[in-house]
Amino acid sequence: MQAEDYQDTIKPGLVALLPRLKRFADLLAGGKTAGTALLGRALKRMLAGQHRYQRNTAIDRFAFAEIYRQWLHEHGDGGEASYAETDKADFAQLFPAKDEEEFDPFTVSFLYSLPPQHRLMLLLVYGEGFDDIDVGRVLDAAPEAISAWLVRISASLADCMSGRGARGNGIGTLSAREATS
Amino acid sequence: MSELSDDLLVAYVDGQLAPKQALAVDKVLAQDDVLAKRVAALKKAHKRLEAAFDAILAGAEAELASHPVPKPRGFFVSWSALAQASLATAGMVLAMVMLLAGFGWPLQMPQIVWRQPVAADVEVDMERVGSIPRDWREELARAQALLSRDSLEVGLNSQANAELVRFQLARAVGPGLLVPELESEGLRFMRAQLLRFDAEPVAQLLYLGASGAPFALYAKAGEASAEPSFRRYGEVGSVAWSQDGITYLLAGEAGEASLLRLADRIRQMENSADAAKNSANAAENSAGAAEGSRVPPPLPKHKPKP
Repeated sequence: MQAEDYQDTIKPGLVALLPRLKRFADLLAGGKTAGTALLGRALKRMLAGQHRYQRNTAIDRFAFAEIYRQWLHEHGDGGEASYAETDKADFAQLFPAKDEEEFDPFTVSFLYSLPPQHRLMLLLVYGEGFDDIDVGRVLDAAPEAISAWLVRISASLADCMSGRGARGNGIGTLSAREATS
Repeated sequence: MSELSDDLLVAYVDGQLAPKQALAVDKVLAQDDVLAKRVAALKKAHKRLEAAFDAILAGAEAELASHPVPKPRGFFVSWSALAQASLATAGMVLAMVMLLAGFGWPLQMPQIVWRQPVAADVEVDMERVGSIPRDWREELARAQALLSRDSLEVGLNSQANAELVRFQLARAVGPGLLVPELESEGLRFMRAQLLRFDAEPVAQLLYLGASGAPFALYAKAGEASAEPSFRRYGEVGSVAWSQDGITYLLAGEAGEASLLRLADRIRQMENSADAAKNSANAAENSAGAAEGSRVPPPLPKHKPKP
């Protein structure tokens, strides 16, 4: 009975969030198929009540964090294995073509070159409008680390666009442990 | 070329700087082509990222729309919702029956004990909230709930630098946060930390006088403005007011008059700090470009919510 109450409380909220959760999972997994599968497993886990939703928590932050936790659980803390496995063609399919033209290949390549955590960081800030504190809560990282990485990644993209060099190649990876240490 | 860090420029592009600081950066950019190009590149980068994420969202929406969720079976509402409403109604009826059986309401109401009776010769602190004797475990457990991860992330090694402390706290509480200097009042700034209340960040600034318990100034995002009001909680007196979107609470073991005077002093400091900043800006404007551009310190980051 308790599990049913939990589902009834959280399920409508999750359904309303589905497109945003799908985007988050797709970007994290690096493709639509892998993202859909990840989202399915994460939703199943959330609805099974393994992680109780606290009513004073924003449901989108809770759901994003749960998807990320599911992914970490499957790939290890750093997720480097998944980073290496991501297929570029699958990744490019996340961005719908406009008039049969590939969507901004430069930005797509740049995002592809980033570790999954960095993509999520950018998504949560520029796609969801979260502040550093909320991003830190979702990704289990210190807000200061989030802020520092955002500056580095933004500067790196701007450098690449203005042809000032390939600082983007030296961004490196950010694991939850690294960010919080 | 002026020395403006990427941190500051990204904050500028994201609209996280206070209006005065953004104006100062505008002035620098008007005189420095290299920096202006850098800012243009950062803006372009952010627009490209936003467009990319919007595109993924559009794709996800289209994909989900192509697989519509089947509607639950039922008569106008789903059977499960109807069953829940029936159960809730039955529960309310049962509660009313129990109320009538237990208390005879509305013929007889239970006597509500608001405060424990006390002997006539015992002095009662009427301002004290609550009638249950204090328990140290409960008090400390409640205090523990005020701590968060952020409480430990304002580094102790930065406490000597008031500007850095203000920067760190203002990022969480709001750009208008004041870290007052109270040496002239005999109170030395000792340290600061971030607490929380209902998941909202609360800054705590601690001051120590020549003797006695410390004074604390708490600040959290709140009303635009409100006049100071005094309240006493046991031994601790407090004055609360709001200014520039931040609600302050000054607390300490002192009388009403001295706390109100201290609060007024802090509010005046805030006004005089604004006036000083305005004067400084005016002086900077008149100095012109000959002196070169001055680098404004980075301001608290607050990204807009969707």
